[in-house]
Amino acid sequence: MRSRFVTLLAVLLLTLAACGGAVSVTPSPSVTASPFPAALTDFQNRSVTVPARPERLVSIGPSITAFLFALGAGPRVVGVDDFSDEPAEAATREHVGGIKVNFEKVVALKPDLVFSVKFSDGTIEKLQAASLNVLVVDPQSVFDVAKTATLLGKAVGADGEALAQSIQQRVDAVKTKTATVATRPRVYHEIDASDPAKIFTVGPGSYINDLIDIAGGVNIAARAASAYPQLSAEEILRSDPEIIVLAADAYSAKPADVAARQGWSVIAAVKNGRIFSIEPNLINRPGPRVGEAAEAYAKLVHPELFR
Amino acid sequence: MRTLGVLAFLAVALVVSAAAGILIGAVAIGPGDVLAALFGSNDVSGTIIRELRLPRVLGAALVGGSLATAGALLQGLLRNPLADPFVTGTSAGATLAAVAAIVLGLAAPLVPLAAFAGALVTVTLVWRLARLGGGTTVLTVLLAGVVLTSFAGAVVTFLLVSSDRLALQLRAVLGWLQGGVSVISWPELGVAAIVVALGLIFALVLAHRVDAYAFGEETAATLGVDPDRTTTAVLGATALLSGAAVALAGLVGFVGLVIPHALRFVIGATHRRLVPASFLAGAAALVLADLGARTVIAPAELPIGAITGLIGAPFFLALLVRSRRIVV
Repeated sequence: MRSRFVTLLAVLLLTLAACGGAVSVTPSPSVTASPFPAALTDFQNRSVTVPARPERLVSIGPSITAFLFALGAGPRVVGVDDFSDEPAEAATREHVGGIKVNFEKVVALKPDLVFSVKFSDGTIEKLQAASLNVLVVDPQSVFDVAKTATLLGKAVGADGEALAQSIQQRVDAVKTKTATVATRPRVYHEIDASDPAKIFTVGPGSYINDLIDIAGGVNIAARAASAYPQLSAEEILRSDPEIIVLAADAYSAKPADVAARQGWSVIAAVKNGRIFSIEPNLINRPGPRVGEAAEAYAKLVHPELFR
Repeated sequence: MRTLGVLAFLAVALVVSAAAGILIGAVAIGPGDVLAALFGSNDVSGTIIRELRLPRVLGAALVGGSLATAGALLQGLLRNPLADPFVTGTSAGATLAAVAAIVLGLAAPLVPLAAFAGALVTVTLVWRLARLGGGTTVLTVLLAGVVLTSFAGAVVTFLLVSSDRLALQLRAVLGWLQGGVSVISWPELGVAAIVVALGLIFALVLAHRVDAYAFGEETAATLGVDPDRTTTAVLGATALLSGAAVALAGLVGFVGLVIPHALRFVIGATHRRLVPASFLAGAAALVLADLGARTVIAPAELPIGAITGLIGAPFFLALLVRSRRIVV
């Protein structure tokens, strides 16, 4: 599995290099003007200037960390949030807090650039008040992933375009596969039903909604009013999903629990045993593995395409 | 005669609210289809009606009825207008047991059982504490209930803060604390119905003894009522009623406090009338509150406690202002 992935990636990169050579003249490093100072616009439309190649990076956000390592900037990452565990090496960096950021730790690491997801509690402002240069990066959709790769590439002086393109190609490969399917099964993706009165799923504008679409399925909540809408059990029964997807973590419901819910036995997915669990990091983090995520989802929705 | 009229009105109100509860829901189903569903049609509408709506409506009726009945008995026994079904510590004991069950990762069907056991254990403790000085006095029942409630509340807070596993189950615990009758299975409903029926029979039999308490324990004793045995019996009946309610629906506030008071304005404070009237009115009120909870912001659901508080509090205040006194 892993070796197949590596092979596929290598093929993609080679194809990419070949294409690049054919259509444009790749400038050699010696003649390239230094990309710094770089004037960037972040995910909150703030203008951020990175004066010189940053050497000490702090990343607050697991998907940002994954991008930095994928861009080859891993050795320059000195601090990460408590949830950053991809790649495994990232977890060895200094931890600077999770839901609450430990400002003292961030300052003590003397970073010349801090990347952070959006916060609504004033964390970004506090980091700035501590004279830190902060770039807000918060990918929420498959579209955002390529944008993130490009932005982070510019910020750290790496080839973000190439990463963005390789990610996009892998996503496109899945799209091409599912484009011709005869039927698009109805999919119910459960985020949380630990309180049975309040069942949360994914709606338009969410990363997982994009994945369902790319995988060749139809989200039963595709026309909901928000990205993470609440559904009643009555509506789920009425929508009759053909596939039910859960996160494979300790806190989510198990397929057997879902099948045993009161009244759910009439649902097609339950009748046909098509209730699946999927690796949580893959679907919760819009990161460089988005292609892998789309493929994993497509294998659940259209297994016949991957035989 | 007037009492019979009120009881008949409440019974009709219960039937009407139950019908509304079954007819209206997140998914629109026509009245014809609802009838077909009740008599066993096998499509999705049938499942929605039979497996989701009907048990929910019946569950709400049982919970509301038991809470109001337990509230009426305890307000009479303790001669305290602020008494509610949870004053003897049932809510706190049930919550502690339910949260502990969630922390230990017990299977979902075991959580209501744990809650019921927790409620019974707490009432027994309260009763034992109240008997320490020999006889059972209602004042010690009240005090022991308050103290045990605080203690169990503290343990729950400790569990909530210290358990990492729970941090991610927080919504399950929150749902419990807010109360709700969203998903009740038929076996659960059957067991609860038996417990509530027992509690209700006890309550009806004991009602006239509670009336003797209106002028205090000593007066009750001179009227030929054994205060010790009566207190024990009433505590037992309310434990069954509120334990079943808490196990089915978590913490649903206000019904047990407001319904008996509201009825006292209408039919007086005699418990022989108050007990059956409270059951019917509590049942109808909670069925309507649940209907509101699932339709007001549909497709999302409000916690039922928000509805009972939101409507119950102004309603109660209006009654209070009109009568300028609380009859107990």
